[in-house]
Amino acid sequence: MEEFDHREKPAPNPVDTGNKGLFDPDDAVTRRIIDSLPVAIFGKDASDAFRFVVWNKKQTELTGITRDQAIGKTDFDIFPTDEAEGFRKADLGAIEHGEPVEIPEERIDSPINGVIWLKTLKTTVQDSRKNRRWLLGISEDITAQKTAADKLHRTAEELKATQLQLIQAEKMESIGRLAAGVAHEVKNPLSHISMGLDYLKGGVKSDDPNLPVVVGEMSDALERANSIVQGLLDFSGNRSLDLVGSDLASVVDRGLRLVRYEIARSKVQVDIAVGDDLPEVLLDSSKFEQVLVNVFTNALHAMEACDIQESAHRIEISLENATVDFETPEEGERGCRRLKSGEKAVALRVTDTGCGFPKADAEKAFDPFFTTKKTGDGTGLGLSVVQKIIILHGGHISLGPRKDSLRGAEVLILLRPVCITKN
Amino acid sequence: MNTEASPIKVMLVDDEDGFTTLTKMNLERSGKFVVAVENDPVNAAERARHLLPHIIVLDLVMPGMDGGDVAAQIRATPELSNVKIIILTALVSQEEDEASTIPIGGKNFRSLSKPVKIERLEAAICEELGIA
Repeated sequence: MEEFDHREKPAPNPVDTGNKGLFDPDDAVTRRIIDSLPVAIFGKDASDAFRFVVWNKKQTELTGITRDQAIGKTDFDIFPTDEAEGFRKADLGAIEHGEPVEIPEERIDSPINGVIWLKTLKTTVQDSRKNRRWLLGISEDITAQKTAADKLHRTAEELKATQLQLIQAEKMESIGRLAAGVAHEVKNPLSHISMGLDYLKGGVKSDDPNLPVVVGEMSDALERANSIVQGLLDFSGNRSLDLVGSDLASVVDRGLRLVRYEIARSKVQVDIAVGDDLPEVLLDSSKFEQVLVNVFTNALHAMEACDIQESAHRIEISLENATVDFETPEEGERGCRRLKSGEKAVALRVTDTGCGFPKADAEKAFDPFFTTKKTGDGTGLGLSVVQKIIILHGGHISLGPRKDSLRGAEVLILLRPVCITKN
Repeated sequence: MNTEASPIKVMLVDDEDGFTTLTKMNLERSGKFVVAVENDPVNAAERARHLLPHIIVLDLVMPGMDGGDVAAQIRATPELSNVKIIILTALVSQEEDEASTIPIGGKNFRSLSKPVKIERLEAAICEELGIA
């Protein structure tokens, strides 16, 4: 049996409730320190239904809830239920995993400040028994940044929508210019059908040897007329950007068909050279046809305006694999990542035999409303819209003298085999 | 000039071979016309010089050489200087068709717009040639 010791004994150790390890928030010094911080600080007791035990001055400023209103309460007592549920879920996650949890943005509906956005870091604090007992939160007010970012995003979306509207407007203008040509193209197959009907109306016997030819020609003509109209419908439709893997040579062919009438009238020779093993490119075919119509029409007009013997005029089109040998500026949120030096690309080159394009004009060619044509003859929007379409495809376009130094101008379009969007 | 006894020799110049096939069938059906077709405008004037048609029905928009140049070549060929020419083209609207002529190289040519009824074409050919 131990001797009874009458010396004053030290007070027995208080029952270890685990509270050791957390600073005393009621301590005046502690409070002054946390109140002086420019970030919101809060603490919750996970062993007591996550009631608030710490609430600093900045937290009051942001939420409009005083310390006295918060301490001893839970999220569900002082915040709307949907917000409180979000906070609780994050708290439980932090307590469970023991790792700090960053909430990049959370929305608080403050009674005083209205909607505010906070970036919050939640971390756990162990008690003396090594239990994850307290949840400590540090919040930064990011309302201004969030508002600016949202506005920037909205502006970018509006800009993209406006660009697409501009592209559509220019397309309508192109269609107007093409209308006479399309009408001519459609009238031809219609005249086949008319002649065929005239023959049939004259009366045919079932064994008439001409009958299969007549019906065949009419059928072919009908398909041709339909495909011309369908081509125009496809060209005029599709307001949004719809990128699919496409054979560029086929798209160029369709573009040429849209201006077939203009080419026939101008008596210009058209030569096409397609390189081997060309990869597919991601294209919005309808919008790219708009680019082609614009480029081909400009070439035809340039040659028409150039006073040389008509029979010498030609358009040369080449498609080949290429390597980008210059830097292109990074596009913003709107478009695809732009081509970089050294990257593989598919090059479409269109040259004409007009009088060429002076360097000074070439630099301004893509400016809206710049035109070398006389007043009233075109709005000058064409090339600026063409450039926008190419940018949306993540490609590059340039205009200048022919690379082979012959008289005339050259348009070079570089397209990525694959387009990687920023998002 | 033809008489009722011999068919009218028509030369049809148009790059659209489907159209020339069907038009030839229609014109020759009655026995009143015999039709030679030329789908390559570059050969048209030379071929016409050999055929010596009574009338040439000529399209305007053709690859390689348009109808205006063909008409000029024909007029410059002594054997063909007086051959009648009708322009048949999709370029002409119905309104312009009513005006009936189209100026090419300072001369007016009778014109018809495509699509054209065969009866109208036959009537135009006969009118140009001054026959019933």
